[in-house]
Amino acid sequence: MANKITSSSTAEYFAKNLQQVGFSSPTKAVLTTLKEAVDNSLDACEDNMILPELSIQIERLGKGGSKNSDLIQIIIEDNGPGLSAENLPRVFGEYLASSKFGRGRCSRGQQGIGISAATTWAQLTHASGVRVKSKTASMKKAVEMYIDVDIKGNKGLVKKKETLEWDKKTGLQVEFKFDGRIQLNGDGGLLTYLEGTTLVNPHLTLKYKMPDKEWVEVERVSTEVPVVPPSVLPHPHTMKLGEFVTHAGLFGRTSLKIFLKTGFSRITDHSLKLLVKNGMKKAWLNKAMTQFDDKELKQIFAFLIDADLSSPSTKSVLTVGEDSLAKSIQRLGEVDFFSVVTRKPKICDFKPTVVEVALARFIDRGEEDKSVQLLRFANRVPLQFDKSSCAITRAIESVNWKSYGLKQSKNSIPQGPYIFAVSVTSPFIKFKNASKETIDASEELVDEIRLALQKAGQKLSRHIKKEAKAEDLERKIRHIEKFGPILVNGLVSMTKASQARKKRAEDGLSKILGIDTEVAIAELEVAEEKLKSLKVKQAEKLGES
Amino acid sequence: MARTSKSSRKSVQSKAEEICQYMLSTLEKGQRPILEAVRCNLDNSIYDPSVGYFVPGDKVVKSELNVSSVQKLARTVFMLEILLNNINTGATNTKRELYYMAKGLVKSDPSLKPIDFDGQPESDSVIEFITDMLEVYREELNCFADDRGGQSYSQNLIVTETMNDGEKATIDLSKLGTAPFQPKNQPTALKLKAKGKIDFCLIVESQGTANTLVTRGFTKRNNCILMGAKGVPSNGVRGWCKLIQDQLKIPMYFFGDLDAYTMQNIFRTLKAGSAASLIRNKDFSAPDVKFLGILPEDIKEYDLNSYKVKEKDASEVRALKKARDVLSNDPFFKDKKNKKLAAILNFLVKNKIRCEQQALFSVNPKDPLMPEKIILDKIKNKVFI
Repeated sequence: MANKITSSSTAEYFAKNLQQVGFSSPTKAVLTTLKEAVDNSLDACEDNMILPELSIQIERLGKGGSKNSDLIQIIIEDNGPGLSAENLPRVFGEYLASSKFGRGRCSRGQQGIGISAATTWAQLTHASGVRVKSKTASMKKAVEMYIDVDIKGNKGLVKKKETLEWDKKTGLQVEFKFDGRIQLNGDGGLLTYLEGTTLVNPHLTLKYKMPDKEWVEVERVSTEVPVVPPSVLPHPHTMKLGEFVTHAGLFGRTSLKIFLKTGFSRITDHSLKLLVKNGMKKAWLNKAMTQFDDKELKQIFAFLIDADLSSPSTKSVLTVGEDSLAKSIQRLGEVDFFSVVTRKPKICDFKPTVVEVALARFIDRGEEDKSVQLLRFANRVPLQFDKSSCAITRAIESVNWKSYGLKQSKNSIPQGPYIFAVSVTSPFIKFKNASKETIDASEELVDEIRLALQKAGQKLSRHIKKEAKAEDLERKIRHIEKFGPILVNGLVSMTKASQARKKRAEDGLSKILGIDTEVAIAELEVAEEKLKSLKVKQAEKLGES
Repeated sequence: MARTSKSSRKSVQSKAEEICQYMLSTLEKGQRPILEAVRCNLDNSIYDPSVGYFVPGDKVVKSELNVSSVQKLARTVFMLEILLNNINTGATNTKRELYYMAKGLVKSDPSLKPIDFDGQPESDSVIEFITDMLEVYREELNCFADDRGGQSYSQNLIVTETMNDGEKATIDLSKLGTAPFQPKNQPTALKLKAKGKIDFCLIVESQGTANTLVTRGFTKRNNCILMGAKGVPSNGVRGWCKLIQDQLKIPMYFFGDLDAYTMQNIFRTLKAGSAASLIRNKDFSAPDVKFLGILPEDIKEYDLNSYKVKEKDASEVRALKKARDVLSNDPFFKDKKNKKLAAILNFLVKNKIRCEQQALFSVNPKDPLMPEKIILDKIKNKVFI
């Protein structure tokens, strides 16, 4: 006989499978905790049209409880709207309690798993969850709570609660203490994460302090809060049959006609006619949704999938914008030159998607012979793990960067002191896993990213080509000075020619090679001219005239 | 445009001087001299079945004087001067020696520093360009490779060598005891004479196997020349075989492994020359050499140990991949005259097996003369290609 079958709560599931949501190692635990808190702060600020100011403090308090780990403390404070006392335990202690789940917007957080997982990790490794201090506009004093996750019941457990003074109008401060390890640089590094976040959030002012380091402050370069476009109705072609049936269930006695026209985007009277023309029974249009059986719903769905509907609207996607990216990239170091490209929203795999690319060469970072530093973003969140299978990496590898003057081995990431930042924004990004580290590499998406990269590469190549031309000219002049006399001397010695012939041959040689040099000088001038016009355009973007 | 005609019988010196004069006078006019050399690769190789070796096609490598080629041309003239000086004084050198001589000259004259060679491959390619441009053998420029391979044994052969100073030396191979005769990389200086009748010449792929056959008395019992090729035949071996073919007019057989590498790299080079030495193949290939084995049918006939090519062995896999390539691109194997040799390659590609020449030693380990019996049996019954 089979063993007794039990069911477990969502919290129980995640408590046992924290590796699925980014807590697979002590190093990743620190990064994920930081990331989840920052995502929430930025989303909250954007929703309330507040220019975000974040302060982040990370300390190493001592040895951790588990092997090979340190006890880490992270304190993150924002100037967001704050959370009411009732909502605090739900947000920090309950899984899938989210204001954002499946709403079809370009927000960073989507499901309401991340921050509760961070609380769980702290609870599992340090036996205490999160400390939160919050103040909303309607509160006179701030409220401070210590919250754990009730793993059996999937709800937040308030361990301690008090009210206190806080010299802030509104805001939220969270503190986690847990086992982890700190990695600052490299693909999975904390500083890499903060740099990426800075880059795609030009409106963010960030103050941070890493262990044994001084406070660092990065000022905002834009005073515009990005307006996250409202969500749009689902497009039939983005749905699966099951979703369609569930969606239909919500409409009760509404007629099919009304259901289709009000429950979906891109369905017009014309589309309804088309469905009928394609064989759907006309009488069905006025039939109530409750009267359809599963078989009929299946048929309706099939007609919809086959119908030639307009593509989904691209209004729901959000961009950082070329101007802001251009300014923001200057915050990462001393930029030698850069190029930015924001593509128009496009439908990839039936989902509205925007790709933005910023390529920059730095004077004070990176090396000639190392791969370029790659910053990947999905809905403005840096992606730091599992680089190789990501759509962005695939697209970069598929571009022939040599034609833009960069070093590259076949089908790999190019080399040089560059940062390649690629951002994909879409209300429905398809990730490969729940910890959202890799964008699924569909052909359409990879193509779209490649187009953006190629355009940025073309702009970048104007700088590189000018350098190459200058180098070419120098090499040519050097060559003539070096080899010309040896060649003529050798020929004169072999033919026992007179000094007069030698002189004539020398003059002839300078003439020939001089022509080559003149061509090189002319090419350099053209390249310089092209670069100059590009620089004027870029200066305009940066607001310098 | 400087190109010496193939039929010209001018001396190397006058060809070289002609080119230098052309370059100098073109420069005097303020024009760009262009040097041409035969393109030495498979693309430009034509297999001529009437002569049996690769001859060059019409394709040429052109080097026009410009900023990018000025270094190469300066180096060419510099090296040409060293080589001509060698010819005039009768000195000979290897490529490696020429490299060090060039380095030495550069060190003693700071004005030459820009053309210094970074390694021997750089100076080698300049020497090759010169030979291809003048359409002369490297040996005609008094540049010889180390003597490698071709160690020969015979009780019936007498070699007369004309040395650089004109003196002659006569070597009776039957008087050398167990020592072999090592042919020089200068086949034109050798004259061959048979003492009595020589029935055949056997070229064995492995020098070790050739030595073993001699130790067991092969050359005592047979009126023959027995030679070890030592793998891919050097110019010396190829020139030596050509000499035996032309001067003695005796049947010649090659005996080696049954594998793709032996067929396409060793036997084909010996018989028809190579793409890299297009202009030399006339004197450095022996088209009459027959492939005695090991043939695919020998495996069954003599119950030879053969085995499957290991999929993990990178060099074996490469050789098979090349074999496929060769079958569709190599003019030698594509010519119907060699279709039986191509059939062996096809057999190897299809069956992925190989059989080594040493398999003969294990046919009947108790009989040390077994390998000799098999070889003679095959010659007698004309089992060769």
